[in-house]
Amino acid sequence: MEEKNISEQESLLLIQQMINTAKHEQKDDGKGWILWGWLLFLVSLLTYINLYTRWFSTYYFWSYFGILSLLLLLYSVVKYYFFKRKERAKTYTGELFQKLNVGFFITIMFIIFSMNIGLEPMKGFPLLIGLYGFWILIYGTALDFKPSIIAAYITWALGFAAFFVNSFATTMIFHGLAALVGYIIPGHIANVEFKKLNR
Amino acid sequence: MFKDLDPILHSQLRLAVMSLLIGLKEAEFTYIKEKTNATAGNLSVQIQKLKEAGYIDVMKQFKDNYPQTTCKITSLGVKAFEDYVKNLQSYLSVKK
Repeated sequence: MEEKNISEQESLLLIQQMINTAKHEQKDDGKGWILWGWLLFLVSLLTYINLYTRWFSTYYFWSYFGILSLLLLLYSVVKYYFFKRKERAKTYTGELFQKLNVGFFITIMFIIFSMNIGLEPMKGFPLLIGLYGFWILIYGTALDFKPSIIAAYITWALGFAAFFVNSFATTMIFHGLAALVGYIIPGHIANVEFKKLNR
Repeated sequence: MFKDLDPILHSQLRLAVMSLLIGLKEAEFTYIKEKTNATAGNLSVQIQKLKEAGYIDVMKQFKDNYPQTTCKITSLGVKAFEDYVKNLQSYLSVKK
């Protein structure tokens, strides 16, 4: 590109091209949602099976999931501060997501803590599902990604319904479904779209 | 009555830089160079002009012993860009 005067039509075209280039920076590959979603789904499923087989204690898989989540969090923090690949362009949405993720994990810790000091898990998990819905809605809206916006409302509906179930096994089914609808499906759609865009 | 198009913005490379920065919080010089396909020398000159007009902020720092230049659009730049687009639209609607 050179330094030269351009016609009005060329100006408009150039503005559109460059804005689209900047928009490209704001796309998410969905890999984080897929990983987080599958982890939640598998732990829900394993807990459900375990409730019938009684191989381990009720919260055996959730305990390991907690440890794994903390390790993943630690890995992300270390990677971010010490081995961070320098982003050459910063977006407003990127900054919003960083803050959103911090708030999300802190609130998760609040709910998990409350379950450890007396809140019934059959009420705590629907709260977690509600929190997933909140995160999914903000992400979807900021990225203008419809599957996530729709998924957020379905996730909330599942979370609300989960308040009224009468067994922890059913709570696990609702939790697994929420992970599937809220994270896994939109994550895979986002990943396919991202790959198409980067071809 | 039409307002004249801002001469600072009505040039190919400067407009490309502004259009790119309008959608970003900030961007490195190398990123802008890559996305605009401009030469480093030409881009430096045009970025300097935008800076002198107060449309962008240019931050120079050292990261891991390498110089790094980062550009960010200012509120004056956002206003100028919006006015430019508005004027452009009125030109084009009359020409139709």
